[in-house]
Amino acid sequence: MDYYLSVATFAALNVILAIGLNLISGFCGQVSLGHAAFYGLGAYAAALASVAGVPFPLAILGGVLVAGVFGIVVGFAALRVREDFLAIVTMGVGFLFLGAVRKQPWLGAEMGIAKIPSPLDKWGYAALAIGAAVALVLLSLHVRRSWMGRAFGAVAQDEDAARTIGIDVAGYKIAAFFIGTAAAGLAGGIYAHMTQLIIPDTFNFIQSITILAMVVIGGIGSTYGVVAGAILLTLMPELFRFINDYKLLVYGALLLLVMRFSPGGLAGMIQRAFGVRLA
Amino acid sequence: MYYVELLLVGLIWGCTYAMMALGLTLVYGLLRILHVAQATVFTLGAYIGLLAANHTGSLAAAFVTGALAAGALGPLIYRLVYQPILDRPPFVALVASIGVLVAMEDGFRLLFGPYGLSFENNVWFTTTYSFAGMTVNLVQVWMVVAAVLLLSAFAVFATRTRAGVAWRATVSDPAMAESFGISVTGVRYVNFLIASVLAGVAGVLVGLLNNLVEPGMGGVIAYKGLAIIVLGGLGSVPGTLAASLVLGVVESYGTVFLDKLLDRDAIAFLFLIVVLMIRPHGLLGAR
Amino acid sequence: MAIVPAVKSATALLAAAALGIALAAPASAQNIRIGFHAPLTGFAASDGKSALNGAELAVEQVNAAGGVNGRKIELVVQDDQAKADQAVPLANKYIGEGLKLVVSGSYSGPTRAAAGVFQNAQIPYVSAYAIHPDITRAGNYVFRTSFMGEVQGRAAAKFVGDIMKKRKVTLVTLNNDFGQSLSAGFKEVAGKFGIQIASEYTYAMGDRQFGSIVASVKRDNPEMLYVSGYFFNGGPLVAQLRAGGVTAPILGTEGFDTHNFIKIAGQAAEGVMITTSLDRDSKSPEMRKFIDDYEKKFNTPADMVAASTHTAIKVAANALAKAGADDPAKIRAAIAATKDFQVATGRISFNELGEIYKAAQIQVIKDGKFRHQATIDDPQLLAPPTK
Repeated sequence: MDYYLSVATFAALNVILAIGLNLISGFCGQVSLGHAAFYGLGAYAAALASVAGVPFPLAILGGVLVAGVFGIVVGFAALRVREDFLAIVTMGVGFLFLGAVRKQPWLGAEMGIAKIPSPLDKWGYAALAIGAAVALVLLSLHVRRSWMGRAFGAVAQDEDAARTIGIDVAGYKIAAFFIGTAAAGLAGGIYAHMTQLIIPDTFNFIQSITILAMVVIGGIGSTYGVVAGAILLTLMPELFRFINDYKLLVYGALLLLVMRFSPGGLAGMIQRAFGVRLA
Repeated sequence: MYYVELLLVGLIWGCTYAMMALGLTLVYGLLRILHVAQATVFTLGAYIGLLAANHTGSLAAAFVTGALAAGALGPLIYRLVYQPILDRPPFVALVASIGVLVAMEDGFRLLFGPYGLSFENNVWFTTTYSFAGMTVNLVQVWMVVAAVLLLSAFAVFATRTRAGVAWRATVSDPAMAESFGISVTGVRYVNFLIASVLAGVAGVLVGLLNNLVEPGMGGVIAYKGLAIIVLGGLGSVPGTLAASLVLGVVESYGTVFLDKLLDRDAIAFLFLIVVLMIRPHGLLGAR
Repeated sequence: MAIVPAVKSATALLAAAALGIALAAPASAQNIRIGFHAPLTGFAASDGKSALNGAELAVEQVNAAGGVNGRKIELVVQDDQAKADQAVPLANKYIGEGLKLVVSGSYSGPTRAAAGVFQNAQIPYVSAYAIHPDITRAGNYVFRTSFMGEVQGRAAAKFVGDIMKKRKVTLVTLNNDFGQSLSAGFKEVAGKFGIQIASEYTYAMGDRQFGSIVASVKRDNPEMLYVSGYFFNGGPLVAQLRAGGVTAPILGTEGFDTHNFIKIAGQAAEGVMITTSLDRDSKSPEMRKFIDDYEKKFNTPADMVAASTHTAIKVAANALAKAGADDPAKIRAAIAATKDFQVATGRISFNELGEIYKAAQIQVIKDGKFRHQATIDDPQLLAPPTK
């Protein structure tokens, strides 16, 4: 039971991360290869707050805000550089975050932060993570239907055209980065308290790529597709535990095969098979 | 003298980056793909070269076989992975490319073992030259020579040969090039061939330099390579060269003087971010 | 149309998964199952391979000697990729499968994350070679059969200051938990042994090119170098230091304790010393048998990682023999009560925190082989923490 509970919690955290990235990259078209940095920022901020005695809900909120504020900073960077340049800048943000944390004694450096107070039990974290994931999915569906979602879409399609029809491109880009990175911060805060231990390596480039893979395998831009992608990629290492030795081989091959044969991801597959377009 | 030696170290690192990044730039310039799987081509070249060297005792054989193996793999990746998804958003090719990298890294481990392999007789590494208190080894000398020779050869190819002109025409306007009777497909294969051969030679050289060929040896260079081609201005060959050398030097000084604050990768990317905030299209990128 | 191949490959994968699950069903209800996780894939796969080899050899030896109370032991192996977040579901999976004892053959990240889970579930957990101080602090169900990083760093300082009589030392530190804790231990007691730290440089896990560090070390001109890392980055580092003209003696760490280090560094490895827990010139029969059997079984020389997991499995089997295989609380008590138990890496007795005291071995590379150089046996200096 504990096993299923921990897998379900991790799946929910990954849904939060992937939905957040999908808001930035799928809806608003701003490529990010450094999403794990915001996951890490949230985790570190919430952990430090909690260790300092801040109550749990405030610590989580602190993680959300710190990640979101740094997200706004990167949003400003996205006003300056575009497309592939932006992709590499966000990748750089990830490396910069990691490289800085690794060297700072007050952040625990390589030893990480341990003994983070844990106010909930396993059921509590599972409920919190799943509840947050559901709330974000609803928010994502709502945003897609709202005026904001259309503005995001216009920015993603052609930002110069969006500007000429009077859309505040800068404002929407920054909003997308804020919401997406704040979501990652939320996941980070929950993760830190649940494991009571964080180390820099958890938030590395591979993690960013994994989150991106969830979005792309699910079908970039489709909320339900991304949820499915996040759950699938969380379960995959678990399903494939028996092939210990070939796990990464199969994982890499799967990324390749899905992209090669169904570039629209799971959402694209469903659209072709059933003619239904997933939201 | 110490500062000069750090400069020299940085320039040697820069040459290694250049050999790797030029291939990435060629692929990006032509197809707008961030070709992360170039790292796989690089690693294959290193493994095949090492096996050949240990089998025959000849480093020349290592370079020839390493370049051949790499030269075969690169176009194969283009044919099997990229070609069918060229009309898709660039994300798709990037994730597929990452898939190749992840799968093959594990494939190398399964094929050649997790411990990595070393050259049995790495004479180039142990042959050293000292001057003015500085020491370099023969692999480092060859790294610089190879970078200068191969990149000059490429410049001659691009400007003086028919194939090179076709290549440049296709980069700037594929549709127009096709209407002039240039085989765009052929150009793409040649492009991947050149990029991959460069990576294969670089792989053997880096293998010699580390005296270690290991499954994950391409990983660092894959993402550092992306940083370099962006820093240079995506698709710009001279920009890539400049960015490689500059980044090598920044890292050389940075790893010593910023050691307490940031690690090597973070220094490289901080530099990248600062440059891009000032020049959003890279060092030599055009709007 | 393109969906057809994708569906086909997905079906094939699912079929493979179903088959795998069928195959993974318990081979024998009679065997005592011990959980064992190690980084079998990913960047640490080389240490994972040695870890698994050492553990498998211990299982084979235990079973050949009649098993545990007449029952054979078997490993339930899982891959953790040396990632902390992989370790939590993995630990819960072991608990869900009803395992009563788990051994870590992995690095500190996953071992720390799993230690808390096992402590909460009251399942005994033995770490073979992870160095982080927090591991055993998870609680009384967690044990460690090797040195902590700081302790090894202190032994290094004593060797450099007291035995080599070197005063001006430069540290080249791998920037991960292993390197940082070794460096911290060394610096903590350096003053006591008259050592003055001339300079310290750090490098990252993925670095293989060290030109700027070599140039800086040459300029600093220390009397001795203390270098941390693993064979795959330490090998190139030592080779480049020597090729760059640095001649000062080098003291490395147990991360270099494998013949792969010598293969990579080649001639430059000669004279390099390391702190480790494996004394290859030891007369102890357990040690000799381990080294000989290992080489026979795997056709490659034994290393520190393999010796450590071998030790941990032997300690686990010893406790199972005393406490039976059913009650985790009894197994825990039996592990805690381990007293002067002779294994390949020395004599094992746990203190109240679940840590052991061991004399540190200094080995030197001579003619391409690790040989005995010195033993640092100082129960006060090398005392593990008790809380």
